[in-house]
Amino acid sequence: MPGKDVVVGKKKKAGEASVRPKEKIPASIRSVLEPYFPNGDMDEKVLICTETDMNDKLEFTLGYLVLCKERILVLVSEPVPGEVHFFKGRETLASKAQTVRREWTVKEYSLTDMKEMKIERTVGGGFLMLVHKNPDDEEADGKAEVIASFSNHRIGQTTRVERLCEKIVENEEIEEDEDEKEEEFCPICGMMYPDEDRKICPRCMNKKSILFRTLGYLKPYRGRIALLMLCIFVYSGLNIIWPYLNGKVLYDKVLAKDDAFIESFGIPGGKYVLALGILVLTMLGTKILMQMFGIFQGVITAKIVPDLVRTLKTDVFSSMGKLSISFFTSKQTGSLMTRVMSDADEVTGFFIDGLPYFLVNIFTIVSMAVVMFMLNPVLAVAALVFMPIAFLISWKMLPRLWHRYGRRHRATRSLNSKVNDNLQGARVVKAFGQEESEVGRFDKSNEKVRSADMAVLNYDNKFSALYSMAENFASLTVYVIGAFLILKAHTISLGVLITFTGYVSQLTGPMDFMSFFFRWYTNCMNSAQRMFEIIDAIPEIQEKPDALKLDHIDGTVEMKNVTFGYEKHKPVLKNVSLTVKSGEMLGIVGRSGAGKTTIVNLISRLYDPQEGQVLLDGHDVRDLSFETLRGYVAMVSQETYMFMGTVAENIAYARKDATREEIIRAAVLASAHDFICRMPDGYDTMIGSSGRELSGGERQRISIARAILANPKILILDEATAAVDTETEQAIQQSINLLIKGRTTISIAHRLSTLRDANTLVVIDEGKVAEQGTHEELIAKKGVYYKLKELQTKALALKGIE
Amino acid sequence: MGFKQFEGADEEFNLEQMEAETEQMLRLRYINKDNAVFARTAGGFVSLDLNESIAPEHYDRIRVVRSFPFTDRDKYISIRTIDEKSKEIGMIKDLSTDVTPETRQMLEEQMDIRYFTPVIKKINSIKDEYGHAYFDVETDQGPCKFVIYMNSSSVVNLSDVRLLISDLDGNRFEIPDYTKLSARELKMLDLFL
Repeated sequence: MPGKDVVVGKKKKAGEASVRPKEKIPASIRSVLEPYFPNGDMDEKVLICTETDMNDKLEFTLGYLVLCKERILVLVSEPVPGEVHFFKGRETLASKAQTVRREWTVKEYSLTDMKEMKIERTVGGGFLMLVHKNPDDEEADGKAEVIASFSNHRIGQTTRVERLCEKIVENEEIEEDEDEKEEEFCPICGMMYPDEDRKICPRCMNKKSILFRTLGYLKPYRGRIALLMLCIFVYSGLNIIWPYLNGKVLYDKVLAKDDAFIESFGIPGGKYVLALGILVLTMLGTKILMQMFGIFQGVITAKIVPDLVRTLKTDVFSSMGKLSISFFTSKQTGSLMTRVMSDADEVTGFFIDGLPYFLVNIFTIVSMAVVMFMLNPVLAVAALVFMPIAFLISWKMLPRLWHRYGRRHRATRSLNSKVNDNLQGARVVKAFGQEESEVGRFDKSNEKVRSADMAVLNYDNKFSALYSMAENFASLTVYVIGAFLILKAHTISLGVLITFTGYVSQLTGPMDFMSFFFRWYTNCMNSAQRMFEIIDAIPEIQEKPDALKLDHIDGTVEMKNVTFGYEKHKPVLKNVSLTVKSGEMLGIVGRSGAGKTTIVNLISRLYDPQEGQVLLDGHDVRDLSFETLRGYVAMVSQETYMFMGTVAENIAYARKDATREEIIRAAVLASAHDFICRMPDGYDTMIGSSGRELSGGERQRISIARAILANPKILILDEATAAVDTETEQAIQQSINLLIKGRTTISIAHRLSTLRDANTLVVIDEGKVAEQGTHEELIAKKGVYYKLKELQTKALALKGIE
Repeated sequence: MGFKQFEGADEEFNLEQMEAETEQMLRLRYINKDNAVFARTAGGFVSLDLNESIAPEHYDRIRVVRSFPFTDRDKYISIRTIDEKSKEIGMIKDLSTDVTPETRQMLEEQMDIRYFTPVIKKINSIKDEYGHAYFDVETDQGPCKFVIYMNSSSVVNLSDVRLLISDLDGNRFEIPDYTKLSARELKMLDLFL
């Protein structure tokens, strides 16, 4: 199998993780199997041994498939009551190594009359079916029996058995199964990676490293951040001084007419009004300073944040561009993308607003506590004792509040999407007269938002009530004890008490912040992690470091024994081989879903085949540089995407340096020139999401002009005229005929008439090449193509069209 | 067996036959105890003999599919061929009235295989770890531990109270009524509600 090792080899390289020790046959079942290998040749005979996880009663239990060339042994264990069943990502090295005594049932099936071994998939798994052949007895031929059941967790392993059986049936040479991909486990916690291609253990991922990595983005702003911190520290320092001035100094020194104190500031004793005036000025000055530093801080933040957000977003976006197309189509990353942009804000917000304040708050709490203890330890304890309680309350309550916020957010989002849905579907709503019921649907969502809102408010109120109660308790205790100390014990003065109450009220802020901070921290780390996931994602389609750059290509395209599936275990193409000679046209026909588009996706290397090779001028496309590949291959597909910009920019999308004349020439060849000139703004007309709406045919013509201008050696036409009316199709067909001259063309079409000029036609059926040949050959063959052709012409003839 | 769609090599093209096929495709054919006999096969499957007025049809093996797997489990059961095209042979309008109890049992066994979904009885823990949620639950199929992706359609509301949870591999788990869970369990699940 040429090329087979390429894909697998590449992925295996990266692993520094613990790989489960490779043993073909697990030790735990060797003794069970021994009687079936009386010659002691178990290791030589067994081709593959894979796990299953269900018995025929659909109970979860461990089982094995042991495949030999002429027979398959199916082991199923008796379910162990209470045994935990592990699914993907949950298995650990420890759970794997577990040795429970099991009762095994072994069934042996001969494969000598195997017609086929087939997996039939169900919703949550599948079963393995052995189909027998019996050429002598038509009744018995094709009889199938179920030999094993498994959940989706084991479908990958079972697919390997299916594939090997296919080779046994075809009598192909069977080599050691090199495709075998070991399950890999996190070296720290021993748990299986959720995604074997990305060796990241979500549980053990170094959260610190994310923090420091994110901090790395702040490096260019070191100076400003130092300044920012300074501002914040000065601000909070002044914040500590304020209650002191306001309480102790005002009441105990100035109002208490403390001459010694006043004189220590160089004010003559007895001049209390002057002292008061100076104190008031100092207090005023403190407040003004605080405000000033507050403003400074705001200005510096405003300078850093947008810059940082931009850097982060650019980083994410440029990494996104490098990713393979499969990344964009896979579901879980799809939602990832949309979140990324808001993630950048989240991360920046945390680092600019969260982290500095965290340090400041720690500083504030500690220094206030120190000052308080210095003033009066008893009162300090009274003031601080409620703080942990307040902290605990917020710590306990905040997550729930958070959840409620989350629910409100989701409800609002769903309401928004409902509105959006309605606006987009306005035509349908009106056509079916469903305005009333749409109002009803809207109301339902609206009601959800209302109730979520109420939940937030209710909880918020409870939260604030409890929180302020704790605060009030603290102040009350301080007042009571303080009053007692003043009146009875005479150990403190009024000023101290007022200073203390000032501190108590100022402490609640930092405490509140701290309880909120940890949640914020995890949220931010989550956002950062999602961003890094994209920044770090290794594209499945990668350019080789020493990729070939070709100055000239002839344009011969060849597919050799290609097998490919978007999901690993569901092949869309099975062993497809085809060749297009330079300058010739290949037509691909087949029912929708047969795998036609997949073929062109592989040729333009949007995906790599799992088996086999795609060759361009005899070079594996995986060896070619992207520049060569994308420069020589262009595609016109059904999906005509117009980017935001002018018509001219859209035509020159692939060749930014095209002159105006070239653009017009391309438009003329694509029969787009006329309609472009009819538009008031001509080639400067803005199109794309915010611009003028073009019809399907117009868009198609612009995309053809785009391809003409790109001047590719290899042209791929994927249902290029499927979305337009017959008249437009005729016009476009003419443009295409001009376009394909001198190029290797691969054209997919439903309408066989479009492929009249094809040198070779390939009929794809169920992922395989069903027929191949010229139009005449295929007609003479009276096969699938003939049938399709007849169907199309007769159907048209019936309607009197042709 | 129904593998004859594209064996046209020696078969003359027949427009009438094709049109008849198309017509058949557009027709909703109901199956009931009067026109159909289902039987168990040795391989653990179900066969079908259909006594159509024009010509009797026999299928060695059939596939049983629910039209409304979530909202109407016993009605509009589609009986289909087992090949990749999976054409509809006919439809059973109501399992409780249109077929014999034995047939119903037989078909339900087939559907139990197809729609196998453990039901979560108890949630021991759910841990949210960087984009994944680690579940530890008790199901009617015994204790299970699985992982789902966060921020995606891993948890779907089938109704106001019913949840369907899909793990990394697409294994499904169901919570028929989450309001019946304890406050502690609900709190863990709250992230997904």
